[in-house]
Amino acid sequence: MSINRREFIKANAIAAAAAVAGVSVPAVASNLITSSDITKLKWDKAPCRFCGTGCSVNVGVMDGKVVATHGDIKSPVNKGLNCVKGYFLSKIMYGKDRLTQPLLRMSNGKYDKQGEFTPISWEQAFDVMAEKAKETLKKSGPEAVGMFGSGQWTVQEGYAAVKLMKAGFRTNNIDPNARHCMASAVGGFMRTFGIDEPMGCYDDLEAADAFVLWGSNMAEMHPILWTRLTDRRLSAQHVRVAVLSTYEHRSFDLADNGMIFTPQTDLAILNFIANYIIETDRVNKDFVSKHTNFRLGTTDIGYGLRPENPLEVNAKNNGKNAGDSTPIDFDEYAKFVSTYTVEYASKLSGVPEHKLIELAEMYADPKVKVTSFWTMGFNQHTRGVWANNLVYNIHLLTGKISTPGNSPFSLTGQPSACGTAREVGTFSHRLPADMVVTNPKHRDTAEKIWGVPAGTVPPKPGYHAVLQNRMLKDGKLNFYWVQCNNNMQAGANINEEIYPGYRNPKNFIVVSDPYPTVTAQAADLILPTAMWVEKEGVYGNAERRTQAWYQMVEAPQGAQSDLWQLVEFSKRFKVEDVWPEELIAKQPDLRGKTLYDVLYKDSSVGKFPLSEIPEDRLNDDARDFGFYIQKGLFEEYASFGRGHAHDLAPYDRYHNERGLRWPVVNGVETKWRFKEGSDPYAKPGSDWDFYGHKDGRARIFALPYEPAAESPDEEYDLWLSTGRVLEHWHSGSMTQRVPELYKAIPDALVYMHPDDAKVRGLRRGDLVKLVSRRGEVQTRVETRGRNKPPIGLVFMPWFDASRLVNKITLDATDPLSKQTDYKKCAIKIVKV
Amino acid sequence: MKKIFLIGWRTLTKPSGYYSLGALVIGGFIAGIIFWGGFNTALEVTNTEAFCISCHEMENNVYEELKTTIHFTNRSGVRATCPDCHVPHKWTDKIARKMQASKEVWGTIFGTINTREKFLVHRKRLAQNEWDRLKANDSLECRNCHNFDYMDFTEQSERAAYQHSTALAAGEKTCIDCHKGIAHHLPDMKGVEGW
Amino acid sequence: MKKLNLAAIASLVIFVISPLTYSINAFAADKETVNTVATLRDHTPIESQKEPNPIPKVMNKDIKQGRNYPMQPPVIPHTTRSYEVNKNNNKCLSCHSRHRTEKSQAPMISVTHYMDRDGNFLADVSPRRYFCNQCHVTQVDAKPLVENTFVDMHTLMSVKIVTDEHH
Repeated sequence: MSINRREFIKANAIAAAAAVAGVSVPAVASNLITSSDITKLKWDKAPCRFCGTGCSVNVGVMDGKVVATHGDIKSPVNKGLNCVKGYFLSKIMYGKDRLTQPLLRMSNGKYDKQGEFTPISWEQAFDVMAEKAKETLKKSGPEAVGMFGSGQWTVQEGYAAVKLMKAGFRTNNIDPNARHCMASAVGGFMRTFGIDEPMGCYDDLEAADAFVLWGSNMAEMHPILWTRLTDRRLSAQHVRVAVLSTYEHRSFDLADNGMIFTPQTDLAILNFIANYIIETDRVNKDFVSKHTNFRLGTTDIGYGLRPENPLEVNAKNNGKNAGDSTPIDFDEYAKFVSTYTVEYASKLSGVPEHKLIELAEMYADPKVKVTSFWTMGFNQHTRGVWANNLVYNIHLLTGKISTPGNSPFSLTGQPSACGTAREVGTFSHRLPADMVVTNPKHRDTAEKIWGVPAGTVPPKPGYHAVLQNRMLKDGKLNFYWVQCNNNMQAGANINEEIYPGYRNPKNFIVVSDPYPTVTAQAADLILPTAMWVEKEGVYGNAERRTQAWYQMVEAPQGAQSDLWQLVEFSKRFKVEDVWPEELIAKQPDLRGKTLYDVLYKDSSVGKFPLSEIPEDRLNDDARDFGFYIQKGLFEEYASFGRGHAHDLAPYDRYHNERGLRWPVVNGVETKWRFKEGSDPYAKPGSDWDFYGHKDGRARIFALPYEPAAESPDEEYDLWLSTGRVLEHWHSGSMTQRVPELYKAIPDALVYMHPDDAKVRGLRRGDLVKLVSRRGEVQTRVETRGRNKPPIGLVFMPWFDASRLVNKITLDATDPLSKQTDYKKCAIKIVKV
Repeated sequence: MKKIFLIGWRTLTKPSGYYSLGALVIGGFIAGIIFWGGFNTALEVTNTEAFCISCHEMENNVYEELKTTIHFTNRSGVRATCPDCHVPHKWTDKIARKMQASKEVWGTIFGTINTREKFLVHRKRLAQNEWDRLKANDSLECRNCHNFDYMDFTEQSERAAYQHSTALAAGEKTCIDCHKGIAHHLPDMKGVEGW
Repeated sequence: MKKLNLAAIASLVIFVISPLTYSINAFAADKETVNTVATLRDHTPIESQKEPNPIPKVMNKDIKQGRNYPMQPPVIPHTTRSYEVNKNNNKCLSCHSRHRTEKSQAPMISVTHYMDRDGNFLADVSPRRYFCNQCHVTQVDAKPLVENTFVDMHTLMSVKIVTDEHH
């Protein structure tokens, strides 16, 4: 039974009238509704909107509204489970403050940077945007145009954005918020293996004998993977769990060996383990000699700060050579790590020697299958790429890699950090399928697939996330579009860099979001955006699993998807507006066409007709453009990787599967890469084949411990680490609007040791100011919460829009990955 | 010098014909007070938290765990210190407990639990000792503060009021039966009744 | 008499006006939340900060809260301070496991919790469900910053029945 709008209004009116009259409506008097016409829900599958685990959920729809969600029993990832956030997905789209109209800062009916937000039509919004973009292009060229995207974009949205920016506007100034999240992992993969993303998969969770968590609070941040790890640990008695962190958190509840280390000293612990393996003669010599080689990395590489910062002035190798390395042999490597004795590692890290040996033994013992997990503790690290390299070293020295249970596994924070940000390549230096803009062959491939003239894609990497903020502040990036993220809350050093950048009078800032976020508050134009199952899309999770979903409900009237916004906006530009004459001359047939024609409608993106969409399915975007745009974008994007070890299945298949792990070759997914027998790309007879590098070998890097960018001193006497909590996802723009999640943990408190509170005259609940060299933020003291920091370190989560901890964090980055270190800066705490 | 010593010795060894019985009794009484007071003062010193946590085994394990619990910090600031729960208030019991505790001093000297790991190995046994003691004395140390007669059930949560007005009131249960692990982390609870 | 009349008129006027003012208020409230910015920040500019509210208390009334849909994990209606759920023991199960509920009168954990990954029922709670706090959370006594307009399927069904009967 369907109910039309007129009937709906009528029914509402009757119910309202009955309520006013004080009579009960007969139908609700019955306490059980049994008619199947009425109780039937329309169920469909979708990946969860939150983290990188990539759980599949079933979404129940009734009368155009999501009314229920639960874990998908058929999904191999979560087998019917969700975490508390996942169970409340039904409510994330229904915050009362959903944006439904574009809002422009105006005074006297005209755009004014200092004006008040005023509702306007989409037509007017695109008019202003196009005018500002064209003005910027004319005045300062493509390098003054930029975009900040997301690992929460669908694959199609990310791909459409890359095409629009790199081929359309000819700028590489597009970067995703995944830069804050995964860039060091990417750097680690590329450096050690020459190809991105984990070799293992979640099946390792049921196969391993030992788990090591390096700077990962899986219990809160990847709860469903944690259920699998817990299942394994508690059901197989021999399994052991080691947890390393700079403060005690919920993952310690399952730890057999819990270790609290001094921030940054993980580098020394990693080198100690390598040294221990060598000294106790447990190197897998056969594996090492056949499948690896050794390199000595460049050191003293700086901290990714502005060049005038004394740390950068003093750094010897913070230029282009920071990522260089030279070949060495095993003996030289062994000598290099020999200084990392257990005494030295213990002294530096504060972890007792016997605990370090117990940890090292897990890796060294050839009988123990060990899986290492890490997330932001490694990645948000000024030596994040190094930390990734160093953990691979340990797995490579012992040959514990690419086989079930033996797995160095980098987890992701966003639902499509892998799928969209990494695989599509929405980074300032990347192109799809691990290609880079600096490589002429790669640019050539992209230009051919895109059907644009040779030389369209600029060869110089654009501004990465942190640099974008600096360039906004310096007035060099003037037209800036932010989609699907909340960087005014998530980015580091809001006070000195991000806020002045957005409010610089030279710049025009557009923010697309379903909700009025802190970033929207700092924008000049806000675009109301459709989300999750209000559109069709594809996400890629941390184990290379690609998952698709259909649109299930209509977006609120006035809200449009990121994809629609990007593609619709491209109609406003003719090639003559954005490309120089010599480029157009190479392909004169494009003359007079719009970017919409060139990049989407007339390219291979436009070749799938609407008839391919099942009739009973919603697809507002495709029906608006007149072709199956999501399929077109996906298939064109997939053509980059097919035959290059990034193979994806045909689009339609994903609608019928609970995801598939790429490379999908001859219709079969790949569980363990680089291993002959499970990876079709591993050459026959190779046993292991690290084909990302030309020599088929993985690289073991000699890299030292180097100190953090900022450490506590007499005045700023505490370490500050930021992070997440279970109940809220990232900046809380979705979860803070779900009453049950809000009420579970409404405010970001500062977690500190009771003794640290006492010596400062503080007690639980006291109003305090956290002060760094960059600014201050107020919150209240928590001395007995779920996180138990050691003396000398405090933790404050960043989900709370009303208490912006990133006002005080330092925008130091890993010089190789350009990822910010949110886990280490120096602060003091003062009672208000 | 020698003379003085000899006179003193003779005086002490001679039967009392010189001092009155009253003086002797009073003198003895005063001396008794001084010795007794001294003993008790010393006992009381060992009966403070500061003494307990002067051993790092106590400070780093059980005391560190106590810091986040309701017996350390709470609404009214009435705080339980180590001896409040772990040393009986009645003198004879106290002395008995103190004699037991000399084993803890032994432990400290010989490092039986000088690391967290060693402590955790013994934790079940150590906890069981305390549970047994509290079970045997009907949770006397709990009741020193939490007197059943003065509980206002209307101020308690529904669950608490129900349990206290039934099982506790009837004497079927004593405090420690339900309130294990309220001040320190629990050991592995396999085989413990009620878990 | 005259006074009484005046009072009657006044009360009538108020009676007539009050729904009006109510709707105006409702409109004003909407205006504050719909198509406006910084709702979670209580309209505070980014450069400044509103004074953080005191830490709210965890609700401890043991009153079950309704569920938004049958598959929603129930929220915890009591405090869980110092309740340990770790490798050594699980405090929650000491009341909510099958063999403890008769004594505790607490709700028994759902049967789904006895199923392993492949849907087989085990003799005891599945270890994958061991950490209760991954799905079940306490609630503090705080008013949500933004209202949520989620509609319960029961409300939608009731509307349909009414429509059916008036056809």
